Amino acid sequence: MINPINIGSIDDIDEGEAKVIPSDETGTGEDIAVFHAEDGNFYALNDNCTHETASLADGWIEGTEVECPIHAAKFCLKKGTALCMPATQDARTHKVEVSGNDLLLYPNVPAEPVEA
Amino acid sequence: MSDCTSHTSEANASIGRMSRPEAFTQNIDVSTLVDSDGGLIDRSIYTETSIYAQEQRRIFARSWLFLAHTSQFKKPGDFFTTFMGEDPIIVTMDKTKTIRAYLNSCRHRGVRLCRADAGATKMFTCTYHGWSFDLAGALQSVPNEKAYPEDFDRKQWGLIEVPNVQSYKGLIFGNWDKDAQSLEENLGDMRYYMDAMLDRDPEGTEVMGGVMKWTLEGNWKLAAEQFATDWYHVNMSHASALMVLSPTGRGPKAEIAATPGRQFGSENGHGAGFPTHPKSRFDARPVHEYYDYEALRERLGDAAVEGPMTTGHATVFPNFSYLPVNGSIRVWHPKGPDKMEVWAWVLVDKSMPDEVKDAQRLYNLRTFGPSGIFEADDGENWSEIQAISHGFVTNNVPLNFQMGIGSERNDGTYPGQTSELYSDAAGRAFYRHWSKQMNTPAWHERTEQA
Ligand code: FES
Ligand code: FES
Ligand SMILES: [Fe+2]
Repeated sequence: MINPINIGSIDDIDEGEAKVIPSDETGTGEDIAVFHAEDGNFYALNDNCTHETASLADGWIEGTEVECPIHAAKFCLKKGTALCMPATQDARTHKVEVSGNDLLLYPNVPAEPVEA
Repeated sequence: MSDCTSHTSEANASIGRMSRPEAFTQNIDVSTLVDSDGGLIDRSIYTETSIYAQEQRRIFARSWLFLAHTSQFKKPGDFFTTFMGEDPIIVTMDKTKTIRAYLNSCRHRGVRLCRADAGATKMFTCTYHGWSFDLAGALQSVPNEKAYPEDFDRKQWGLIEVPNVQSYKGLIFGNWDKDAQSLEENLGDMRYYMDAMLDRDPEGTEVMGGVMKWTLEGNWKLAAEQFATDWYHVNMSHASALMVLSPTGRGPKAEIAATPGRQFGSENGHGAGFPTHPKSRFDARPVHEYYDYEALRERLGDAAVEGPMTTGHATVFPNFSYLPVNGSIRVWHPKGPDKMEVWAWVLVDKSMPDEVKDAQRLYNLRTFGPSGIFEADDGENWSEIQAISHGFVTNNVPLNFQMGIGSERNDGTYPGQTSELYSDAAGRAFYRHWSKQMNTPAWHERTEQA
């Protein structure tokens, strides 16, 4: 059983914004971006874009997608799917849970499959 | 000074990194083309391609050029694209909220990097191969970077930055010469005349809406010179507009048509002219009623209120002009010897209520917008000058700038050298400075000179 890490209050991340949890806290060797999507939910992906080097947390959140700030590849926040060129590799998802006011991140636990 | 912010960086070593044959930069001695004491101008300065190219090197690459208004930038990443001479420029606010300006050309194969007129971004990414630059101009991402040689250093391929960016009371200017005289020093006495527009509101000014842009046939100097020195044309060129705006419909009263006034000309080529008459004020009624003229007199002095705050005109050398009466601020962008693009903003006082701001905006459009009743008169004259000026004989006949020769003096009221309102003094000063700059090597030539 993997223990989640408490990454702070849900109020820390405004809708349409994201926060980076640095690799030394995630324990996965990679930074993880936690997004507050426009459907009101929280999602997490590896922060680094799968195309080149860019922080997805710096990108533009539209609905439940994030657009990379560098070359405008888009990723599905729910499933990590690379939705357009120039990215061809999906982003890795991580499970996020809201518990009361707290946000819990499960590094390396894939987000639960969601119904489309 | 709180009035003035500035940002200076090193001139980028990549400018002129490859040496170019001298034939590219052969300079013409223009001293015989401008007789600023005798008031004669040779028409070739408006038509010759070689002179136009020299202006790019020795006027636009070394003068303080208007870029934008500070109110156009609120958050890091807000940007506006413009030109300095023919060089395309991105002006943006970086993460430290400093205004920076960069050449709007990708360092890879030179594509125009940002194509939008204005907006907000996190990175400037090139549409061609995807090189991506951050708000500090640093090259952050190069697709397939591993294929470049080992000594490829992204640090050397950042955006070319305009090394000198300074602002005066909300007006941001850039200069490619990092050792240029400071903007404030360069403006000198011109500041007094500008303050009559910029200081009416202790809160300062802001621009409204977007930028109006239109193209005119005509050399850029025709417009810049007119806004510096030419009240003379008003009663003739704008006769019908003056009639429409006068209460009787027959034109202004004799005392206003023949108003006295002063014209300021600076050794740095700036110029401003204005009636000195408490009633020569063609402003929009809601704007007129908004101002507390007694308070303005107390704060800025009677001379400013009855002078440069009236229906004046002005040019900051080389190509920024403004009209205090309707808040038109504009740049005459050179687009070849025969063409200019006019970019005009509407400047208002920050504290004005919205309906007064809107009245000023509409009045601005009606009078000096692209189809304004005054603007159209001026553009027509400039285009008529240019359209015929390539004729061989035409081009050989000098133009007259002799009005008010010898009338320049310090009158004890208005700062610097002033002449009568009806005078070519500021025009002579404009061309005197123009020819001096054209005959003096600029920063990018200094190594050759040494
Ligand atoms: S780095 Fe994200 S799309 Fe290129
Ligand atoms: S020209 Fe800009 S990336 Fe190639
Ligand atoms: Fe005019």
